[in-house]
Amino acid sequence: MNNELIENGQYNIGHICTRQQCLNGRGDKTAMRWVDAKGDRADYSFADLDRESNRFANALTSLGVVGGDIVFTFLPKMPEQFFAFLGALKLQAICGTMFSNFGEDALLDRLGDSGAKGIVTKKSSLKKIAHIRQQLPALEFIIVVDGDSDPVEGIYSFKSLMEEASAEFMVESTAADTPSVLHYTSGSTGKPKGVLHRHGSILSQNMTTREILGLQHDDIFWCTADQGWVTGTSYGIIGPWSLGVTQVHYGGGYDAQEWIDLLSRERITVWYSAPTALRMLMREDQGKFVTADFSSLRHIFSVGEPLNPEVIQWGRRLLQRDIHDTWFQTETGAIMISNRPGVEIRPGSMGIPTPGMEAVVVGDNGDLLPDGEQGSLCLKQGGASMFIAYLNNEAVYKQKFRDGWYQTGDTVKRDGDGYFWFMGRSDDVINIAGHLVSPFEVESALLEIEEIAESGVVGAPDELLFEKVVAFVSLHDTFKPSPELELKIRLHVMNRLSGIATPQEVIFLDGIPKNKSGKIMRRVLKARYLGQDPGDISTMEI
Amino acid sequence: MKMTLMEKLNDVFRMVFDDETLVVSEATTANDVDGWDSLTHINLVMAVEAMFRIQFSAKDLGSLRNVGDLLGVIESKGSA
Repeated sequence: MNNELIENGQYNIGHICTRQQCLNGRGDKTAMRWVDAKGDRADYSFADLDRESNRFANALTSLGVVGGDIVFTFLPKMPEQFFAFLGALKLQAICGTMFSNFGEDALLDRLGDSGAKGIVTKKSSLKKIAHIRQQLPALEFIIVVDGDSDPVEGIYSFKSLMEEASAEFMVESTAADTPSVLHYTSGSTGKPKGVLHRHGSILSQNMTTREILGLQHDDIFWCTADQGWVTGTSYGIIGPWSLGVTQVHYGGGYDAQEWIDLLSRERITVWYSAPTALRMLMREDQGKFVTADFSSLRHIFSVGEPLNPEVIQWGRRLLQRDIHDTWFQTETGAIMISNRPGVEIRPGSMGIPTPGMEAVVVGDNGDLLPDGEQGSLCLKQGGASMFIAYLNNEAVYKQKFRDGWYQTGDTVKRDGDGYFWFMGRSDDVINIAGHLVSPFEVESALLEIEEIAESGVVGAPDELLFEKVVAFVSLHDTFKPSPELELKIRLHVMNRLSGIATPQEVIFLDGIPKNKSGKIMRRVLKARYLGQDPGDISTMEI
Repeated sequence: MKMTLMEKLNDVFRMVFDDETLVVSEATTANDVDGWDSLTHINLVMAVEAMFRIQFSAKDLGSLRNVGDLLGVIESKGSA
């Protein structure tokens, strides 16, 4: 572990990623090259990051935020996202990040459960927050990055706050166990859980950025992940900036030509993306890649879903480079298993554990399984980046650990050479392009639609997204299936939860299979969809 | 008063993205509308097909770079 990272016992992520870089002579170095959706660029040095995050920490202080309070960002990728994140952490506030396309239900779940004191967002998102604000008594303020202040409504202009705030902020000495980052993740039952991390996580994020992603001081790194995702904070902010590495951040969405141009024009040396994006690139005209200049590109990494061997072969053929798969979870906070450079790639495998990380495969009774047998992936408890709590849910947090091992919920097998192979999830959580979606949340959103009497939601394989959401619905007697109703269903889920959670298929049934306790039998629905044997249906009511 | 094609299309955008203040123009791209990504694009396409009673082909969908392109495809299919 890189203990040189920690100076005078200061573990504060905001401080290490900004002020400490300046103190180590990198104040004038470009920390972030911001490229907006129209291609306009702006460079921010580490001194700029330090100053702007200081201002934001002071702005939060002026609004009454103290250490331990929770503040969320609800923003697309934009410079203010980074200033707010680092500034909140400097103040020892807990910073939660949310995808900017979340709908009202998703917002309410997260802001309500966490008791967030404030949120930073765009003017266009104010309507969503206004609809749920009465249900959020703890929410004291909204900072709007592109709007005016309205103090009576508790709305403050980011620009005005920053102009009034001092550029100096003294970060208090922060212990490793001080809470830092909050990401919500979905389970197969219940509402999303708040995964709480600590400032000490920076040790693992720094080490894996150096040892797995192989970043060096003169690299130019591009991590395509949104900051609403753990990859976007661990490797789109913390890891690279803790090493003083220049990052490119791009404000546009997926566009094959733009991405190719960005890799070439910005002379990206290390690129971290996701299998879905890579599979979308695979569908493009090969000529686009043949004529592009990737001469600066040293490594390509992938995260979020299993990387199929075809993508690796495509990378070798068209980019003349390996694509290295990495595996981690919101809970683990940093890369735990990977096909890292320097180690033979086994296409289709997750790779081998990160140095210092111990991973095993166990059976249902908790016994270690021999190589080749499928079981539950467990990680040795105690890694620096391992989460410290499910917010307000200690019982479930404790259930995730057994005899000193963290139960990942992933089913894997290990081969004789120590490579792990992903086989599936041990629960019903759906992985859509690396984003976990709870079937329960989608089912709940579906039941808000007046025509729907019952719903059951499962994940099904998808060539592009890895998995897709398939919704089975049964209607009240007076309603009939129609294309218009299907559209209404899709739009309702999209606007209540998110685009990711939107059912890709809606199947109308007379009834949803349930057991005698009334529990939806998702495995029966899934088997039906896949044309497989549903297994034991002796307890099924419908 | 009869709505223009562009006004009807703007209404579809407002419905899909749940924003009654949204105003799109022919030059609007996915980067200009919060939440317009590859997944919500599928919903947009479905909504346009339903509202204008047309069917997009894969070639149609591959040609869409902005709202103007979308409008052009709708017009080419004779919808009014």
